[in-house]
Amino acid sequence: MTINRRRFLYYSSVALGGSVCLGLPMCFAGNPLVAAGPDDIRGRVLRGDAPKRRWKWSREALHYRRLEDDRTQCLICPNRCTLSPGDRSVCRSKVNLEGTLYTLAYGNPCAVHNDPVEKKPLYHFRPQTKVFSLATTGCNFRCLNCQNWEISQARPEDVRFFELFPAEAVDAAAARGSVAIAYTYSEAITYYEYMRDTARLARARGLQNLLISNGYINREALEDLCDVLDGANINLKAFSDGIYRKLNGGTLQPVLETFKTLHRRGVHFEITTLVVPGYVDDDAMTRAMCDWILDKLGPDHPLHFTRFVPRYKLNRLPPTPVSTLERCREIALKAGLHYVYVGNVPLHAANHTYCHQCGRRVVERLGYHIPGYHLEDGACKFCGTAIPGRWDA
Amino acid sequence: MKNPSRAVERLVVATGVASVAAQLITIRECLAAFQGNEFVIALILFGWLAWGGIGTLAARLVTSSARPARLTVLAQLSIWLAGLAVVQLAAFRLLRDVVFLPGASVGFYPTLAYIGLTIAPYSFLVGFLLPYSLYVLRGSIQPGYPGARIYILDNLGDVSGAALFAFVLVYWATPFQAVVLAGLPLMAVAAGLPGDKRRAPYGRWLAAGLVLAVMVMGVALERDTLRPLSGRLAYYEESRFGRIVVVQQAEQATLFKDGVPVFDTQNVALAEETVHYPLIQLDRPSTILLISGEGGMLRELAKYRPGRVDYVELDPAMTSAQFRFGLLAPIPGLNLSHRDGRAFLAAVERTYDAILVCLPEPDTFQVNRFFTDEFFGLVRARLSAGGVFSFSMAGYDNYLAAPQQRKLAMLYHTAARHFKTVQLLPGQRIFFICRQGPVDLDMPARLARRGITSRYIRGYYDGNLTAERIAQLNALVKLPAAPNTDFRPRLMRIMFDQWFARFETSPVPFFALLAVALSVYLLRTTRAAFVLFSTGFMTMGSEILVIFAFQVLFGYIYFQIGLIVTVFLAGLLPGAWLGARMASHARRVLAAGDLLLIVCLVGFSFALATLGMRLPAAFFLVFGFLVALVCGFQFPVALAIEGGHGRAVSRTFAADLLGAAAGTLVTSVVLIPYAGLYWTAAALIGLKLISLAVVGVRRVKR
Repeated sequence: MTINRRRFLYYSSVALGGSVCLGLPMCFAGNPLVAAGPDDIRGRVLRGDAPKRRWKWSREALHYRRLEDDRTQCLICPNRCTLSPGDRSVCRSKVNLEGTLYTLAYGNPCAVHNDPVEKKPLYHFRPQTKVFSLATTGCNFRCLNCQNWEISQARPEDVRFFELFPAEAVDAAAARGSVAIAYTYSEAITYYEYMRDTARLARARGLQNLLISNGYINREALEDLCDVLDGANINLKAFSDGIYRKLNGGTLQPVLETFKTLHRRGVHFEITTLVVPGYVDDDAMTRAMCDWILDKLGPDHPLHFTRFVPRYKLNRLPPTPVSTLERCREIALKAGLHYVYVGNVPLHAANHTYCHQCGRRVVERLGYHIPGYHLEDGACKFCGTAIPGRWDA
Repeated sequence: MKNPSRAVERLVVATGVASVAAQLITIRECLAAFQGNEFVIALILFGWLAWGGIGTLAARLVTSSARPARLTVLAQLSIWLAGLAVVQLAAFRLLRDVVFLPGASVGFYPTLAYIGLTIAPYSFLVGFLLPYSLYVLRGSIQPGYPGARIYILDNLGDVSGAALFAFVLVYWATPFQAVVLAGLPLMAVAAGLPGDKRRAPYGRWLAAGLVLAVMVMGVALERDTLRPLSGRLAYYEESRFGRIVVVQQAEQATLFKDGVPVFDTQNVALAEETVHYPLIQLDRPSTILLISGEGGMLRELAKYRPGRVDYVELDPAMTSAQFRFGLLAPIPGLNLSHRDGRAFLAAVERTYDAILVCLPEPDTFQVNRFFTDEFFGLVRARLSAGGVFSFSMAGYDNYLAAPQQRKLAMLYHTAARHFKTVQLLPGQRIFFICRQGPVDLDMPARLARRGITSRYIRGYYDGNLTAERIAQLNALVKLPAAPNTDFRPRLMRIMFDQWFARFETSPVPFFALLAVALSVYLLRTTRAAFVLFSTGFMTMGSEILVIFAFQVLFGYIYFQIGLIVTVFLAGLLPGAWLGARMASHARRVLAAGDLLLIVCLVGFSFALATLGMRLPAAFFLVFGFLVALVCGFQFPVALAIEGGHGRAVSRTFAADLLGAAAGTLVTSVVLIPYAGLYWTAAALIGLKLISLAVVGVRRVKR
């Protein structure tokens, strides 16, 4: 047989095609982060999704501006949703009705519980007390591993809820003997108005206020909130903007600004990082994160490395090995952070609080119980060093 | 080549062998790559059959008298088909983590699109080659070659491929090895087809060489395609029941079953909850039955010093990996049994103080059998007086969403028919503790009194399972709900709802589009083709129905299920042979076939309703054979009515495939979950009555 030029080109291209078909995907095997999946899963404004009229549990929103053609722009979080009449925000809580921005999440929490403060987690805030915890629906992120996706990714109208307007919420918290109200579970920033009004009343009644959040909030809105905040736990989901976009549908920088604002305003806060295997367990990233914390916030804000377990849509990954969390903790301690914990691992030695000066165990934790407490007036009983936090009983 | 028609016939058989093996392997890959629920299984079969049908129709379009089918093209395409199976498998496995986020599950529409696109080239080509082979035979080798013969040969290949995979390859070969072994005969036969009279087919040999290289590369790099995102691949086995992978990350081993992590060595909380919540209710649990397990639970179980622990796990490969990697540790009194848990319970004569079911969510017919009224009744009969039964469902953190509430309510009411106390405990999993006596909720205190140590329950129970949370959950499941039963698996549709809710999608647009497309197709097709469409629909529907009923009655027995699938293909062969000889009375024969199918299904339903558990396994095999026989029998008859020309061949092949595709999807995800077994049978009978009416119209369109 004589192979002419046409045939030669045909067979060559087929050979090349075959190799590429099989070979190219092989190149990605084992290193899928390079080119894997969508780069950004941020939520979108839901056009025309608003109800026709307001309902009982709505109020005019705070921190927004009116634009031309009856459009509005929400200024509470960095999504800065611009809504035309009839539109709904990314977080699903805000709607534009005839040129006015309303929140639909006001006085209608769908989850209400009395939780141990350690569950938030807050380890340096009034140990072994109960906090009245509530949440409406909504979130400005789209985390693939959300543990509360049933409410964070739902609209206020789509769930069962309690009627607890701010005054009633404060009454309920007081009636249960809670020392504080925690705005938690879904994303508190999306029910900002409800949180702020409740927090003001709570403070007037002698209750404290805790923000448990992803920290994705604009500075002006946060500054207002800081006036009534006593403590916070803010998620630092990764020290990488790319991973924030990929896994959470957010961006890193605004969260870092939140930490700086809280630090400047003197609000007690703790930081939580969920260590997702393959994404958030990189040593260099952990090191860079700890260096940033030390540099911008100092060594005293407690940092929790928590164990990932497969959840929601991110359910095809293994859980985080305990040794990975221990390695992260080592990196953080070496970087100079004083209080670094391991979370979601029952009875781990790094659940306890150790005085950063003398190294003695000052708060011994057995889950949510405190069998050993060696602080006096917020200082180590053994060496007298002040341990940062809110230790009042 | 002395007899080219024989060579083409061998090629058709080899194509059947290779394509069925590739199809079964692709189904397994899909289950490992995506959610392994009944919806996804049906989607794969639907996509495969539908693309095959489209390929069959396309063969007609590209062939004409001006552009006749050529033997060399057939040979080339067949060689590429053998290689394409390997490329498809590699692409399926690897592109998933390029298109989607590694570690994340994927919703309905992305799954549909991904499956549809990745299997398209192969299944389209398989569908294309069947009529094309006939055109080649009729065009230049043997004008007047009977179309029914090609159908018979294709079925012969399909039966052989199914049997080869189910009874040989699945035991001895990895997926890449299996597609290569099943594809090699096809490549060899295609390469050996006669070429142009004047010269040797060097080009074809070159293509064969290239395909062989691709095959070798596929087999050589198989393990690399499974490299995990994090950690190291420590163990990999393709068992009869699915893919088992163990990933080792530092000290932690995680066992993945079909891509989902099901066991790990460090989940202390789950092991404690699974064991202590039920067992601490008993003073001295002596005999315990575990249907499947959780990582680390035997260690917790040993704290009660039971006399006998029967651990029933369907897949021997699973327990082998569990013990090898320390996911479970042997304890005194442990008896392993590798069989279906329900079949074990039905057969066992002893009673147990505790029966713990640790199975995944009931999103397949196979698992649903462990959460039905009948199963709970069986459990009660095997529990000793004062015994305890527990199982669990996926949990929630702070809010019980509506689909999950309905699911739990259904399970609560189903269990409450057999147990006086059904106590639900919230957490990362929701535990159902069922017994005739009371359930004490102060677990930490009970554990302390018994001197049993725990890490999670001791430290976290009081905070996570507050009285308020427990009361809230137990109040929410009092919602009225009908029971989940064996033949009316209502739970399945709630599982589908939950799956769709998680991805904020609905299958309605898909089914609406499908209904429109099918309506257009059916309105434009001939009556004979409609009969074949309905027969294809009914045959696949019946196959799913038979497997479903068989599992309920006998348990999941791999060999027998494989036999049922093979019998459903095997019946087609003698049927087609018979049909080809009776084509002279086409209309009457076609109507008789429809009538016979109706009688078969009525008989099946009647026997199931009256005899139930007393039916022998052979009954299902006979029924499957009969249905397939009639299906095979109708094909040549319909082809004869259609005229047997090229266009008719494509049309009849396509009608059969598209009917089978629709039957698979509609029966699996709509009829059985929503209407139950008997109404599904009634719907299939109804479809056949329509078909009978269509045949009964005096003038069958030619």
